[in-house]
Amino acid sequence: MKKEDTVKLISAEGFEFVVDKKAAMVSQTIRNMLTSPGGFAETQLGEVTFPEISTPILEKICQYFYWSLQYASGKETEFHIEPEITLELMMAANYLHT
Amino acid sequence: MSSQKKRNFKIEAFKHRVELDPKYAERTWKVLEHAIHEIYNHNASGLSFEELYRSAYNMVLHKYGEKLYSGLVTTMTWHLKQIAESIEAAQGGLFLEELNRKWVDHNKALQMIRDILMYMDRTYIPSCHKTPVHELGLNLWRDHIIHSGKIQTRLLDTLLELIHRERTGEIINRGLMRNITKMLMDLGPSVYQEDFEKPFLEVSAGFYSGESQQFIECCDCGDYLKKAERRLNEEMERVSQYLDARSEAKITSVVEKEMIANHMQRLVHMENSGLVNMLLDDKYEDLSRMYNLFRRVPDGLSTIRDVMTSHLRETGKQLVTDPERLKDPVDFVQRLLNEKDKHDKIISIAFNNDKTFQNALNSSFEFFINLNNRSPEFISLYVDDKLRKGLNGATEEDVEVVLDKVMMLFRYLQEKDVFEKYYKQHLAKRLLNGKTVSDDAERSMLVKLKTECGYQFTSKLEGMFTDMKTSQDTMQDFYASPFGDIGDGPTLTVQILTTGSWPTQPSPACNLPPEIVNVCEKFKSYYLGTHTGRRLTWQTNMGYADIKATFGKGQKHELNVSTYQMCVLMLFNSADGLTYKEIEQATEIPASDLKRCLQSLALVKGKNVLRKEPMSKDISEDDTFYFNDKFSSKFVKVKIGTVVAQKESEPEKQETRQRVEEDRKPQIEAAIVRIMKSRRVLDHNSIVTEVTKQLQSRFLPNPVVIKKRIESLIEREFLERDKADRKLYRYLA
Repeated sequence: MKKEDTVKLISAEGFEFVVDKKAAMVSQTIRNMLTSPGGFAETQLGEVTFPEISTPILEKICQYFYWSLQYASGKETEFHIEPEITLELMMAANYLHT
Repeated sequence: MSSQKKRNFKIEAFKHRVELDPKYAERTWKVLEHAIHEIYNHNASGLSFEELYRSAYNMVLHKYGEKLYSGLVTTMTWHLKQIAESIEAAQGGLFLEELNRKWVDHNKALQMIRDILMYMDRTYIPSCHKTPVHELGLNLWRDHIIHSGKIQTRLLDTLLELIHRERTGEIINRGLMRNITKMLMDLGPSVYQEDFEKPFLEVSAGFYSGESQQFIECCDCGDYLKKAERRLNEEMERVSQYLDARSEAKITSVVEKEMIANHMQRLVHMENSGLVNMLLDDKYEDLSRMYNLFRRVPDGLSTIRDVMTSHLRETGKQLVTDPERLKDPVDFVQRLLNEKDKHDKIISIAFNNDKTFQNALNSSFEFFINLNNRSPEFISLYVDDKLRKGLNGATEEDVEVVLDKVMMLFRYLQEKDVFEKYYKQHLAKRLLNGKTVSDDAERSMLVKLKTECGYQFTSKLEGMFTDMKTSQDTMQDFYASPFGDIGDGPTLTVQILTTGSWPTQPSPACNLPPEIVNVCEKFKSYYLGTHTGRRLTWQTNMGYADIKATFGKGQKHELNVSTYQMCVLMLFNSADGLTYKEIEQATEIPASDLKRCLQSLALVKGKNVLRKEPMSKDISEDDTFYFNDKFSSKFVKVKIGTVVAQKESEPEKQETRQRVEEDRKPQIEAAIVRIMKSRRVLDHNSIVTEVTKQLQSRFLPNPVVIKKRIESLIEREFLERDKADRKLYRYLA
């Protein structure tokens, strides 16, 4: 996959997740970051740091991106969420406008 | 996650970060304010979107939304004031460019600001009913830039000035214009309309009112229309190039009003080049242009139509009442047809085949054709001329075309029964003299009349054709029968005409030469022998004969003459010279016919088988006629023309008219009875209307005549007047 088509998402602990841009743009916030006309640092570097999102949550989020891309429109499948991370995940979702 | 949202799951914000130091909001806002400055300064690349977004996010979460929003307004306002100053400072032509550049910058900045403040846009603004960021940016731009005192008028003036320059032929930067008008539209339709469109339309109206005044003074109608059309197209193109599409209808209506509607009458009536001249000169292009332009304004087409109608009526009236024209009926009708063709063509080419124009044309023709009460006669004469000779060598389609055209004129006639009368006469002459060139054409004309007016109209005409056919058969039978042995007497061809079908006028039979009388008698006894109970009378005024004559130097000629002429010529077998009186006595031909017949025998050059003394151009009762020994001709067969199918002389015309009036009486009576039979009781005026309606396919009955007929019917006890109301009539069964 070409570098331009991917984006690096970095968690609070410094873990890096390289995901498809298309998948990342499931989040409205990330979409704005990457498409805003001004050329912010994120757009130029192709990486976004989330100092308030922990690694497990970001991982779950990335899984959700791909799941959403594949199934959100139509098929009845479950996206499994462990109950113990639900709250944090919710907050991140609000932040990312997903 | 979205599935949880659907269950209306309330999301609590980051509550664990409540321990805020009071400076937090201030500090965060500083970060954001700095970022906004940087964005306006094109320095955004060093900024982290995530950080800014998070800052704004946190501010909103921690109830500092109000601070964030008002801070944004202040900062943006400050920037826009800067921008306004820089735009105001721009010199002359650079003004628009500067404005445009700043607009583009502002838009981009606005987009970025909206992105980083997205969370505020999403949550804080709807809950507080504030203006969303993007709209806020546009409003601020409108208030601080477009409506700033120094820019507002300057912008408008510059735009109008540029458009004016383009109208006078200069090239302007259309892309820039488009961007600026686009900006005005983006700021809201009301900004575009108030700050640009309205004054633009006013200035345009002024411009075109002046220009049209100038054009109309110095151009002819055609040129003026060309110019108007060009202007109209220019404006439409302008709209498509750099104005809002909704302006098109407005600006075109301005141009239409100023350039066309205001000058419509003057254009149409312009001397030497107005509508009438265009019609006369078949200027299809100009006419079409006029049609298309005038169609755009109210009353435009009706103006054209009215002028065309009055022009048609005027020329038509001249045509049908010009005594010069009346001398040649064929030419007269041909002119009518040409006129009709001409205008049909104009309507189809230039006026888009507009139905209302066709109707106007038809009603005009109907109007003026009926101005001349000889039109029915002339039209019949025209057909007569065509069916006699005019169609020689023409193909079947051509014949159809000519006949169709005639039928078109026929439709305009109000007095169709008069036409019928004449047509019958002319047809009779054609049939009896064997002058029809094409049986098919005759039949086709008959069919057309039948489809137009119904069976009743043509039944007698068809009867005439049937008579011709049976006569042929009868003659064959006659010569095959014992009566048919006529020895070396002259060959006789008899046409038996049913009384009533033919327009025969009772005319006293002339004295036929004894040789002929002999054969006639034989035929008579044959015919009455096979058909009992019939009466035969001889119509000597209608036949024709072929006779052989030997002249002075022994040259032989075959003369084709009418029955009357034959009778006259046969007299010269026994005498060389006869006076007019002697001829009249011997033949008993009615005076007017005799004169005509002598005229054609003695006075036509090259066909003067008789010599007249004294030589003069007219036949008088004192003349003496001699057999012309010196007659010579290149042809063996000489056709002595009779004065045929001429238009009627005045007394004949009167007579025909009288007969027509006479014929109408029973028709009117029949109509009255038909109406009364179904209605039982009716007042006078209604009867008149009904009768007129029933009969108008044949003629227009005169109300006075209808009244007389009603009276006559009352006398004969078909009707009676109501005893209470004298205006009512009652039907008596």
